[in-house]
Amino acid sequence: MSGTPGYYGQILDINLSTGKITKMAVPAEDLEKFVGGQGLGMKILWDRLKKPGVDALSPENPLIFMPGPFSGLPVPSSSRTCVVTKSSITSPIESDYHHASTVSYSNMGGFFGPEIRFAGYDGIVITGKAKELSYVVIDDAKVEIRDGKKFKGMRTDAFDKAILAELGDRRFKTVYIGPAAENLVPYASILHTAGRAAGRGGTGCVMGSKNLKAIAVKGSGQPGVADHQGFLAALEKARGALYKSAFAKSWAEQGTARAIVGNSNAGTETVRNYREGTFAEADKIGGDAARRDVWVKDIACYCCPLGCKKSGLTKGKYGGIVHDGPEYETGVMLGSNLLISDMPGLLKAITTIDDLGLDQISTGNVIGFLMEAYDRGLINRGFLDGIDLTWGNVDATLAMIEKIAAKEGVGALAAEGVRALSWHIGKGSEKFAIQVKGLELAAHNIQANQPRGLSYVTASRGACHMSGDNIAMQNRRAMMDSTGMCFFPTFEPALEEPMLALLSAITGRKYDKAEFEKTGERIFNLEKLFNYREGFRRADDQLPDRFFEDAFSIGPKKGAVLDRNKFDSMLTQYYTDRGWDPETTQPGSAKLKELGLEAISRAI
Amino acid sequence: MEREKKEPGKPDGGTTLTRREFLRDMGVAGGAVVLAGHFGVHGLAWAISGEPELKMVLVDYGKCTGCRTCEAACSSRNRPASVNGRELPGLGNPRFANIRVHRFNPDVDVPSVCAMCADTPCVKACPVKPDKKSGRRALYRDQATHTIHNDPARCLGCRSCAKACATQRTGVITPDSATGKPERMCTLCGGDPQCVRRCPFGALSYVEVRRDRKFYGQRAEKIAAELAKTWYGTVDLGGVK
Repeated sequence: MSGTPGYYGQILDINLSTGKITKMAVPAEDLEKFVGGQGLGMKILWDRLKKPGVDALSPENPLIFMPGPFSGLPVPSSSRTCVVTKSSITSPIESDYHHASTVSYSNMGGFFGPEIRFAGYDGIVITGKAKELSYVVIDDAKVEIRDGKKFKGMRTDAFDKAILAELGDRRFKTVYIGPAAENLVPYASILHTAGRAAGRGGTGCVMGSKNLKAIAVKGSGQPGVADHQGFLAALEKARGALYKSAFAKSWAEQGTARAIVGNSNAGTETVRNYREGTFAEADKIGGDAARRDVWVKDIACYCCPLGCKKSGLTKGKYGGIVHDGPEYETGVMLGSNLLISDMPGLLKAITTIDDLGLDQISTGNVIGFLMEAYDRGLINRGFLDGIDLTWGNVDATLAMIEKIAAKEGVGALAAEGVRALSWHIGKGSEKFAIQVKGLELAAHNIQANQPRGLSYVTASRGACHMSGDNIAMQNRRAMMDSTGMCFFPTFEPALEEPMLALLSAITGRKYDKAEFEKTGERIFNLEKLFNYREGFRRADDQLPDRFFEDAFSIGPKKGAVLDRNKFDSMLTQYYTDRGWDPETTQPGSAKLKELGLEAISRAI
Repeated sequence: MEREKKEPGKPDGGTTLTRREFLRDMGVAGGAVVLAGHFGVHGLAWAISGEPELKMVLVDYGKCTGCRTCEAACSSRNRPASVNGRELPGLGNPRFANIRVHRFNPDVDVPSVCAMCADTPCVKACPVKPDKKSGRRALYRDQATHTIHNDPARCLGCRSCAKACATQRTGVITPDSATGKPERMCTLCGGDPQCVRRCPFGALSYVEVRRDRKFYGQRAEKIAAELAKTWYGTVDLGGVK
């Protein structure tokens, strides 16, 4: 146990090149300033990459798995693992460095983060590159790197079972990659429980570049807390706030899938490659339809009273077991975005993407772009290797998914992402290549939702729908994702006070709302410093032209389009309010000093 | 507690009142109606079935989401912490829970907990000679709580109880890896099982033991296989033990 309550004060550090395994002490100051999860992961990333331009796929780039101070304790919804690394998909418009890219973070639920803490660590850092495909087994203090050649090319659902059969103990919690990551698709994901993913920003691609198929972890310990009685009292209140919550009950019913119909009605859905905000057939792929025809079981992450994950079964041509979905993101990106309204077909696409280990959002976005380019005659069937990629075509979508994961034919090009595709195709297609900094936008459309546009352009990992629509939200979310607790239950306002009390009782530091946000602001600014050092400037915080030119032609928000001037002045205000230079976006020295980042900032 | 009469010659302290005794008592009490009034309808059903009235934690597998809050709640209660000399509920390390949620692929979650077997195969398997005074082996059913206890001072660590539980019932009894002594026997938390109280999804209930319930006393793997077949049309759970 470390001197800092709520933590072990040690990170498991594994170098796959040398096979060296060490338990690295974490300075108490870092725990205090960066907490855990996304924040502490960013600090470790910053410390490891001392110069800009390091190739994300080089052995140097650390792949960091981070629980937070809530993880391993029975705090409601404290199931998250934040995967932090340097992005394999983003890049600035101009930079002095060939391999410049942003930070990347991707957050997943399940049971992995808590298990890391049961095993006695505040996080796992992987560096180096194994000679052959390998996997890591962590059983409390015992850590081994094992040969994983026999698992080469194995899809994630089969692997989820195979690895546990190999280990002979179902209590191991595992994360792993599929064929897409082994093939280094820049937007490959990391899977957990065959249906949960750290999907965004190429975390899987980085894992693939290290020849690391999986990590399995099992532990028997538990971190201590600063104030035992205070913790128990706050836990009681936190449970009370959520168990009685009507909001929590509603999430148990449909999870995020409720928004598939809701956002379509509001005109904020991604439809037809972001051309529209409303999908006339949304009800066919929405939560009510899924509850009626697909879902057989509600699934929750560790100690979560929400249970927003749904698994089920479909019948017919595309029939099969569904580990998760439709959720809002998956259902929209592969559904309304591609004009697919056949529920079993949609779920077949979602299941296949997880099975191959691709990011659902980027994959759906890329296929939507190709459908539009094909529809407009900018590319022909020959370009698509004979695939008739028309709107709503399930078989063509499935064929394209396989091609991307295998990087075969047109798939090799599509695997590079929507921006690279548009550069290759040209003919004005950049206008509807829907990305920021090279990362594809998600399922929230923005012609009628300017604040979400701000989230997409200013987020640290490229177009991120979760970053937050304003400064306060961004700071809170950066902090939330550093604690190990899920962001979803925090929609319940009654949770806030007990959540802060829990964090205070665990760490022994007094957290109020202001301190919580201030810590998040420090984390967000550290990410910005990293990106700025790589060469990202204001010109990189840019939306594609579509959002300023193509007004919605249907739905309740018909006619909605963003105004370029208004958007630009909103951004100028944003940088000013952040204490950053509005011209360059460089964080100002006053702000950095206020956040205790001046020592770090001197490096740039 | 009138039904707790010690049955002579039964060192496990388990089944206490037999059908024969019931019929005898019925004669004394003047009929089934009086007896039912005295013992309750369930008591009567028990008496007729010839099984002792025992209570257990029952799982509704359709409602269980696999969140493992039950594990934390159990551990918190049954593995208390000593803080500044005071005994307080623990932090809920699931490793020390007596209930364990088994997760499968496809998504089936099976909380496994002591079935409170009336015939106690675990106790019967205990090779320790019954104590002359108490009639207890090392493993025994407690008279007051009806739960299974182990006397670590007399326990040999031979794992016979765990083997009996695994081959005949749920397999929840787990020998400590170092000592071999049995763990994970449900305590019922003094009549207020915390897993039941804390389950966010209402998947657990505190009920009378009934052997005729579906899945009663079965191993998690067997239950999961049947649920997977019903829900997903598959029996392939990856062959993991």
